[in-house]
Amino acid sequence: MEKNRPTVIAVCDAGPLIHLDELDCLSLLADFRIWVPEAVWNEVWRHRPTVFQQSAVPFERRIVPKPIPPTLLALSYALALDAGEIEALAIMASVPEALFLTDDAAARLAAKQLGYRVHGTIGILLRAIRRGHMTASEVLTRLRSIPHRSSLYISPVLLEEIISQVQQEYGLKS
Amino acid sequence: MNSTIQATLPPRLYQQIRTLVAEGWFRDEDDLFIEALRRFLDVRRPDLLEQFIREDVEWGLYGEE
Repeated sequence: MEKNRPTVIAVCDAGPLIHLDELDCLSLLADFRIWVPEAVWNEVWRHRPTVFQQSAVPFERRIVPKPIPPTLLALSYALALDAGEIEALAIMASVPEALFLTDDAAARLAAKQLGYRVHGTIGILLRAIRRGHMTASEVLTRLRSIPHRSSLYISPVLLEEIISQVQQEYGLKS
Repeated sequence: MNSTIQATLPPRLYQQIRTLVAEGWFRDEDDLFIEALRRFLDVRRPDLLEQFIREDVEWGLYGEE
């Protein structure tokens, strides 16, 4: 079993955990080692406890290394990041090769500023096709359901554009 | 012309706002709200949100691990 253990660490903000669960796609995180900072854990537990009630993803609750680097603190204040985002970025400082998963623009801006790889719910969904975890049709169904099943905000025009791109890429009719 | 909006705030958050105003960091509550919203919106511009999602699409469909 040990040899199948995922090697890529993904440090998670609350957004992707909640949004993927809303779309019934949380299992797409199963090929990462998912590190959940304490503050994110508490936030998700408050808003979407079902996230932690499934067994496909072995979430690892992580304590934040202290002290938080001054550069990160300054950036966090400037970008008005919340506690979960700050903790996630503090953990990223200890594993800079990891992936940071967030749907928050400000957190993403901070992560890019700090040189981290960062992606969100849409990226994880589309990656599922490339990795063979879901068919393009299944992902299209999830994308179409975002406005009424998920609290992820995406402009309808952009969502439609992404749907068209996936259809075109995989030769599916609209 | 300025617009007026109404918002319901959690007591603790409102207390923090009142403290900042009382200590003179902001002229009044309006001033603080405008500054807070301006900062919030500044890092959540639609073009930025769109750019991030487009990067996600690129990585999701064609990226390497």
